[in-house]
Amino acid sequence: MSWVILVMIAILVIPIYEAAQDEDIWQRMLAFASIATKTSLMILVISVLRDDWMIGVVGVLILSLGNASLMLLAQVIRRVNES
Amino acid sequence: MNSSVLIDIFSYGCIAVGLWFWLWGTWPLLGHRSVLYKLHGLSVADTLGSMLIVVGLLMKIPREWPLLMLALISLAIWNTVLGYVLAYCAVGHGHGHGEMLEGADTQGRTVSLRYGKLFSSGNSREVSHDG
Repeated sequence: MSWVILVMIAILVIPIYEAAQDEDIWQRMLAFASIATKTSLMILVISVLRDDWMIGVVGVLILSLGNASLMLLAQVIRRVNES
Repeated sequence: MNSSVLIDIFSYGCIAVGLWFWLWGTWPLLGHRSVLYKLHGLSVADTLGSMLIVVGLLMKIPREWPLLMLALISLAIWNTVLGYVLAYCAVGHGHGHGEMLEGADTQGRTVSLRYGKLFSSGNSREVSHDG
């Protein structure tokens, strides 16, 4: 089962690299949204791997709260760009 | 064949297909395409891949179904809404209803579509555009 985590880490490197090298703010936001989803899914997989319910709760919280806060951040950046 | 072996095969299959979707959707991030192109691939592949992975986990440990169900529902709702909001914010840079598109014509001039009219940067002539 740990091969799943290894493959996930390998895929996670792609958006991290993109967020580090791209200057455009929206490309960065896209990469961050991808990182948020992937990290929370990794936490869920680890919770199933360790059979730990508490880690799973944290993963689900990050999954829903992280995406919602990224939406708010996108709105704030749009307003800042407007003015 | 034992039923637990069958469930294992199904769950690992779901996880592997989900990981393949992840890779397929994330790879175009490295190219120099527009935000909308990348967003399209990423929102489709990320949501579907993540949901497949969660379904694979659900088959492995059905005891934790409330938590994994919550993860499935929040993935389906939030990722779609986030994709829409990101596209809206990235394209409509404050131009009223966000109706603005930009591109290049065959001569390399920048052409933008605003409020149903075509504007070209190469010459100041305004090109009317019906429909």
